[in-house]
Amino acid sequence: MLSDLMGGFGVVLQPINLLILASAVLIGFVGGALPGISGVILVVILLPVTYSMEPTGAFMLLTAIYASSVFSGLITAILYRAPGTPEAVMTAIDGYPMTQKGEAGKALGVGILSSAIGGVLGTVVLIVATPLLADIALQFSSPEFFALAVLGLTVVASLGGNLIMGVIGVCIGLIIASVGLDPLTGTQRFTFGNLELMSGINLIPVIIGLFAISEVLKRSQEGDVHLASKKFSIRIFDWPVIRQIRGAILRSSILGTAIGILPGIGASTAAMVAYSETVRWSKDRSRFGKGAPEGVAAPEAANNAAAMGALVPLFALGIPGSGTTAVILGAFIVHGLTPGPTFMTGNTDLIYAVFVGLLIVNLLILLFSKPFIALLSKLLDVPYSVLGPIIVICCVVGTYSVQNSLMDVWLMLGFGLAGFLLEKIGFPLVAIILGVVLGPIAESELRRSLAMSRGDWFVFFDRPISAILLAIAALLLVFTVVLPMLRRKRETPAEVHEQ
Amino acid sequence: MNVTYRTLAGATALAALATPGLAQDSYSPSEITAFVAAGAGGGTDNFARTVQPMLEERLDTNVTIINLPAASGAVAHQRTATSEPNGESIEFASSTLITSLAAGQNPIGLDLLTPVARMQSDVLMLVVNPEKYESFDAFKAAAEETPGELIIGGTHAASIDRMAFLGLNAEAGFDLNFIPYDNEGAASANLLSGNIDGMFNEISAIQGYMESGEMIPVLALADDRLEAYPDIPTTAENGWDLTFGNERGIFINAETPPETIGAIEAVFEDIYGSEAYQDYAARTFLDVRPGWLGSEEYRAELEKNLAYFQELMAAN
Repeated sequence: MLSDLMGGFGVVLQPINLLILASAVLIGFVGGALPGISGVILVVILLPVTYSMEPTGAFMLLTAIYASSVFSGLITAILYRAPGTPEAVMTAIDGYPMTQKGEAGKALGVGILSSAIGGVLGTVVLIVATPLLADIALQFSSPEFFALAVLGLTVVASLGGNLIMGVIGVCIGLIIASVGLDPLTGTQRFTFGNLELMSGINLIPVIIGLFAISEVLKRSQEGDVHLASKKFSIRIFDWPVIRQIRGAILRSSILGTAIGILPGIGASTAAMVAYSETVRWSKDRSRFGKGAPEGVAAPEAANNAAAMGALVPLFALGIPGSGTTAVILGAFIVHGLTPGPTFMTGNTDLIYAVFVGLLIVNLLILLFSKPFIALLSKLLDVPYSVLGPIIVICCVVGTYSVQNSLMDVWLMLGFGLAGFLLEKIGFPLVAIILGVVLGPIAESELRRSLAMSRGDWFVFFDRPISAILLAIAALLLVFTVVLPMLRRKRETPAEVHEQ
Repeated sequence: MNVTYRTLAGATALAALATPGLAQDSYSPSEITAFVAAGAGGGTDNFARTVQPMLEERLDTNVTIINLPAASGAVAHQRTATSEPNGESIEFASSTLITSLAAGQNPIGLDLLTPVARMQSDVLMLVVNPEKYESFDAFKAAAEETPGELIIGGTHAASIDRMAFLGLNAEAGFDLNFIPYDNEGAASANLLSGNIDGMFNEISAIQGYMESGEMIPVLALADDRLEAYPDIPTTAENGWDLTFGNERGIFINAETPPETIGAIEAVFEDIYGSEAYQDYAARTFLDVRPGWLGSEEYRAELEKNLAYFQELMAAN
């Protein structure tokens, strides 16, 4: 393996390939920073370009764009609460409050460092353990995915804030997610005869509407204040901050890689689970959502790690771990390569060049991000009365480009208005996203599990992984909801007695 | 993106120059919009993007591809059916057009869309995990001994592989179950780990697994044994009339004048015969069965399959 790795370095360090990597990082940066333009779209746009390239260069380009776009979604998430990619939606939750507190530079530094560490760790795992991990990933079937989604949904109890509102938020998310064709029978649900609603409500209009548009609406009411007009400088290696976030980075990188490896579960879910676990295990939960650096570190470490993890089943089994890797799989086939279990042994040179390329890309991110953000942050000097409309235009164009649908744009604007109103009453928007992302997984995997077991509910407890995951979810609910309730009940009569 | 492709398409261009212009005289669109009734990156999209520069060379015009994956492509069918009938809007679609019609998920039928040409006819295979079943005989024996127990994984409820599943149940008298997954990858993962008993897939998608022996095709939905895979038994030799597969072709607004449709058909026939296209077909295993069908024959084929799918859906 070491000699393969050295061979990979030999290939990647050729000037033409370094040029490919550097340009891929820049393309990924720009695309990822624009709301609505995600890694999938960039990879698709560049796919025809790669047809005339030789395979090694082609796949270095595609995977590098993918890695850097997952990274750069954080920039607009932190600066404007407009997540550049769906993977960055959790980053906005603590990142944007940091910007509002005048800590944009710190938030970006934390995000960049966490992304790079997560990405590098994910790549190292990819290099060392791809064949081994792929077999473990196969142990996950419908019951395990259902248990994982349930574990994710119980997070709402530990997110802080009003629990009842949180539960309502998740339910709203679940209803949004149930629009479209029934995943198992194909029956139409809440489509009102509309053709476009048949394929369901896309995640991107929901995220951009709820977060970016609602914020523009809110700011428009506040008059033309210059929130972040203070000059900020990004400090990536800020040791006191690093000491504070290192636990979150490490834990989230591992969690992110592990979730990324599971086929079908992408980096957005990884960021969500990592964020909630960080909240859950933190001593002071009340800081989250108000600008806690760990709240930026966790999702960023996790989503970049997961992006790399998603390549594990692709290379080892020919099964894509996420939407973007599915497109890359298509590209393999067009290039005449046959992805599958023999892919790694048959294409060692190509695979190791891609591995090394990804390592270098994650380091290039550290190097390039500062000047790139400095350029973007000039926009912060623009008055919000000008910037706000620009953000809206970017959101409209980005949302439209996802599947060339005007319907998505209207939905996005509708969710923007809804988000604006819901936030006025202190509603936790993230709970809705939780429902939208995890709801479809929970629903369809529950039904698939029961179809697999022909209606026997014990399928969830027969299988060790799903049994353990469900037990953890139940325990966490007891600790975060039931016990505090009992304690409150016990305290109330005691107080009465004292009086 | 087209500019870079030109280097590779250079050879094609020369070939195109050598053959006399077939249709340029009567049909010269100022630009072409090509709707793709599928998401980016899949088989139909790859097909459209491979053909795009070939079309541009032959018609000397710009071809813009718009992916409209919403509602299993029904949005793309709608846009095509309501486009100006001047030959400047075409659609790339797969058999999903008729499977979703049969499932009642697509209001745009063959009365509103005219098939121009079929370019690809993929062969569906029943694929199993060899650790569970070493041959179709073993699978068949298990299906007959334990009715209602075997599970076929697939993509969605109105997909071509669901039709194959329904067809096999009907023709062979099996009682297999069907679980639709979000995508082909999830179904493959479940097949590899032994959670399901089989799935219907195409040669191109399982090539790697066949080489490693982790998945094997045990039954081909075809009339005759495939030249490249003579060991795989067919449905026809079992006496089952079940030979459809996933087809991909070009469609157009039904109001388009017949001479324009004929001209476009001729252009695609020329593309189909070109070395560049055949190279792509061979690379992606799309040449196991000849793909070409002209407008009339393609319509007949689609109508026949649609009627059969409607029958299968009605019975279940």
